[in-house]
Amino acid sequence: MSAPGLRAGPSQEEIRRHNLGALLRYVHINGATTRAELTGELGLNRSTIGALTADLATAGLVTEETPRASGAARAGRPSLVVRPMSALVYTYAVSVDVDRIRAARVGLGGEILDRREAARDGDTSVSETVAAVAAFVGQMHPDAPPDAVNMGTGVAVTGTARTDGGLVQLGGDIERFAEPLAEALSAVLGGDPRISVGKVADLSALAEHSRGVAAGCGDVVYLYGDVGVGAGIISGGHRVTSHGGYGGEVGHMVVRPGGHPCGCGSRGCWVTEIGEHALLSAAGRDGASGRDALLAVIDAAGRGDGKAQAAVRQVGDWLGFGVANLANILNPRMVVFGGTMRDLYLATAASLRSRVNAMVLPACRENLRLRTPKLGDDAALIGAAELAFERLLADPLADPVDGQGGD
Amino acid sequence: MSTSPSPLLELSRINKSFGPVQVLRDVDFTVTAGEVTALVGDNGAGKSTLVKCVSGIYSIDSGIVFYDGEPISINGPRDAADRGIEVVYQDLALCDNLDVVQNMFLGRERRTGLVLDEATMEELAAETLAGLSVRTVKSLRQPVSSLSGGQRQTVAIAKAVLWNSNVVILDEPTAALGVAQTGQVLELARRMADNGLAVVLISHNMNDVFAVADRVAALYLGRMAAQVPITEVTHAQVVELITAGRSGDLGLPAAGSGDDYGLNGARG
Repeated sequence: MSAPGLRAGPSQEEIRRHNLGALLRYVHINGATTRAELTGELGLNRSTIGALTADLATAGLVTEETPRASGAARAGRPSLVVRPMSALVYTYAVSVDVDRIRAARVGLGGEILDRREAARDGDTSVSETVAAVAAFVGQMHPDAPPDAVNMGTGVAVTGTARTDGGLVQLGGDIERFAEPLAEALSAVLGGDPRISVGKVADLSALAEHSRGVAAGCGDVVYLYGDVGVGAGIISGGHRVTSHGGYGGEVGHMVVRPGGHPCGCGSRGCWVTEIGEHALLSAAGRDGASGRDALLAVIDAAGRGDGKAQAAVRQVGDWLGFGVANLANILNPRMVVFGGTMRDLYLATAASLRSRVNAMVLPACRENLRLRTPKLGDDAALIGAAELAFERLLADPLADPVDGQGGD
Repeated sequence: MSTSPSPLLELSRINKSFGPVQVLRDVDFTVTAGEVTALVGDNGAGKSTLVKCVSGIYSIDSGIVFYDGEPISINGPRDAADRGIEVVYQDLALCDNLDVVQNMFLGRERRTGLVLDEATMEELAAETLAGLSVRTVKSLRQPVSSLSGGQRQTVAIAKAVLWNSNVVILDEPTAALGVAQTGQVLELARRMADNGLAVVLISHNMNDVFAVADRVAALYLGRMAAQVPITEVTHAQVVELITAGRSGDLGLPAAGSGDDYGLNGARG
């Protein structure tokens, strides 16, 4: 069919694989869906949807059932409902945060089926962290139904660590965690090589984009704050992952030349003005740390503590500077404030928005929405699971799923 | 999400007097589906009166109310409720001795024959709370007296959403709340708008306004000083609009510039 010199069109097999992936992704994101709705949403005809659903059902990835009798009676045969096999097809999701380690078993469809959590502090080494994760997975694995199938593991790691001075350390954490985790999990799961690692901000962005506040929004910046500040960027519907996954370190863009020294060795990084440490220090609470201390300052400001009010206003102003820079560079439709950035955003929105409105170009400002996350702290776990499901969704029938779970 | 330019509810040149006191003077005000419109103004600027005119508690002396482009008359709270206009007042109007479900269906209970259809009501209440991603209210069968301030506010808001409302007006929803609960209620207001409702947020707190509003409407001594997109104003400008009625090019004309009844608010 194709003229000489032109690239051949996709083969039937490729089209089928693509359609299978699209259908599975749709029910994974949107939950139980009638065949009639799928026909409309995916733009495929009814018999194609029927055949694709049958293939996915045979593979044990979805089930089909007649809809519940409730609701208005409609004429004709009711359309079958396609449902993801949440309980039987799952991934492990791990989130290594500044102050805790979390692991979860997440079903197809994004449901958290089981979860474990432990505290972590600055002294917790990579090997201890890895051992804790492996132990959690080892605990959850026997609890999964015997015929359930594991599709891999996704890991979200924070790009920063708390050190003695409450400062920020840049770690090559993705590499530091990927290999030992693969080894430790292999030991628990019987040699599973399917481990994907990403940064918390990146994977939270992915989660909010898939099934959170930014669903349907293709241009998103997710600002994540803990001790440090990082960004997950989605542009044109695609994750901007950067070389090695080390990008998105917006906390280290210099906003104040010659400013406060930063843990990275530079001076005047954004994080030195908006980080947890900056707010607490401006409020005269140098010894404190953590989210509760941050909330205490915001609460004090709300109750009329002048020093706390000034600190909150000052941090909001600096927050606005950075967001304005990001908005001008990336022109996102939405900026999501996650982690401690959520609390800061809600407390400083007036000064932040004023700065943004004054600095961002009109074209980039008009449609800019500032939002807080819908998935809350679970975003990192759900994003890690999304990352692990990616392989399955790209090619649903690549691995035979049936009856593999027992071994 | 939906930035449809046509307003759902539009008030045009509304006037309202109590005896010799003119409380609202040629007020224009528009509310759009999918947006949070913040209504700000000093005490006595006319915010509450405006809301009571919209919700049918007060009648208006003159002016037109358009709903979805059609002129309508609101002669009582029933008319407003029939149009899907709900107000959540500061006192919340919840019954302490009743549980969450009973409160949400108060006065509009579902029946099957002679008995109350508790199962359906509970299901609908749970659906509404889930639709708003509310995770703070653990049991639907606990009495409201056992809930915190933020949870009560959440129940009162969910009650307003339950009735296929199109316009939900929140009167100072965060005034009595701590930091954590304020955040939850603000996110709730935002989520309602993102789900397609038209939300009006009355607030004195500029952080609340800038955190969730798409548009801000400032009343000054009974007149609409300006109604502008939140992307076009600064904190200082909104404060000026509230306290002086104008800020730079925005707002009411300077005193003595003639046109006493100028329509300067129509920028939305």
